[in-house]
This record gives sequence, structure tokens and C-alpha cells, in this order.
Amino acid sequence: MLARSLITFVLSLLPAIAWSQATAAGDPVAGQRKTQMCAGCHGIDGWRTAFPEVYSVPKIGGQHPAYIVRALQAYKSGERSHPSMRAIAASLSDKDMADLAAYYGGAESKTAGK
Amino acid sequence: MKPMNALVSGLVAAALFLTAAAAAAADIKAGEAKAKEVCQACHGLDGNSQTADYPKLGGQRRDYLAKALRDYKSGTRKNAIMAGFSGTLSPQDIENLAAYYAAQPAVLVVKH
Repeated sequence: MLARSLITFVLSLLPAIAWSQATAAGDPVAGQRKTQMCAGCHGIDGWRTAFPEVYSVPKIGGQHPAYIVRALQAYKSGERSHPSMRAIAASLSDKDMADLAAYYGGAESKTAGK
Repeated sequence: MKPMNALVSGLVAAALFLTAAAAAAADIKAGEAKAKEVCQACHGLDGNSQTADYPKLGGQRRDYLAKALRDYKSGTRKNAIMAGFSGTLSPQDIENLAAYYAAQPAVLVVKH
């Protein structure tokens, strides 16, 4: 009886586990549809920010997806301070961040672009 | 004599400017030596770090890398590990390292 309820309990968790893993991994196809706010700077080769300091925007294609997510979270929380990135990251959900990270950090990015 | 004086001061100014420019210019070899000492263990010597805890640096923009190091050093960008390492770097070390990692085969790309 105990074993049975244990099995039922574990089985009931499976969808939740599967869902959380899908969320954590991010969907590169969904991510590609969410790049409108990114592409204007990160999608232009050699683009420089003009405010608050002039320097080249970093290349993010091929970066570790988990690192991209952490960077976005740090901008959203204010831990990293760049005005545009803070505003953009604040508008992103955890799912958006994971999807964008999966798209930009995806393996196929190594051959795409320059 | 007046034009001569102007010419001399112009040449002196140019020489001073060139000296300053040379001092500020990055030394990629020195950057590599410093990378072996300070950065390699986490970011890899070619900047292609194998773990997601450490960002890839190979082929990243030189001026972005330098800004990141300056911000870590000043505390503008907060990271306990990078605060420690960047604190040991001189402004010249920062320029050298940024030039070195920017010159590595790009693992990073501009993705549209």
C-alpha cells in the first residue's frame, strides 16, 4: 500500500519535472522569434553602444546559454548596470530568457553569421 | 625664427603624442603571458571555456573585454571572483589581455 502510494506520488511529479526541464533548457525556435529587442545591437557586426559609454556591444552568439540567462537576470535585478539592458531584461520572463539563451547559445550559431 | 620655433614645438608635441600612444598600445604577447597566469584556469587559454559558469571570451570585442575588466576592478560590475583577479591587473594588463582574447579564434559570433 505504502509502495503503491509512493509510486503514484512519484508518477504525479513526472509532468512537473519534464516541464521544468523544458523550461530550463529553453526553446531555440521560440527564442529566434523573440530577438526583436536584441538584434538592433547584438545582430549588427561591429555595433557600438553610445550611452552611457561608447564601446562595442559584446558578441553573444555561441556563448554558454546558462551564462546568457545569468547575465539577463543580473541586468533585470540591477546587479549589472546598463540602462538599455536593464530595461530590456526587465521585460523578459524566465521563459523568454531561456528561449533567447537557447537561440543565441545554440550550437548551430558557430557557423551562422560572422 | 618664429616659424622654426613653431615647427620645433610641433615636432616635440608629435613625439610626445607618439610615445603616449605606444605606451597605451596593447601588447598581445604580454597579454598571453598574463592570461596563462590569471585567466586560463577558468576561461581557457584560447577563451573557449568549457563550463557555463565562465563566459567564453575567444574573439569577443576588445573594447568590451577591457570595459568589463575595468568595471570589475572598480566594483561597478560585481562578481566576487572577478573582483579579486581584476584587482591585480594594471590598466596596461587590461589592454593587453583584452587584445589577446579578442585575437583568439572566434568561438563567439554575431548572430542575427
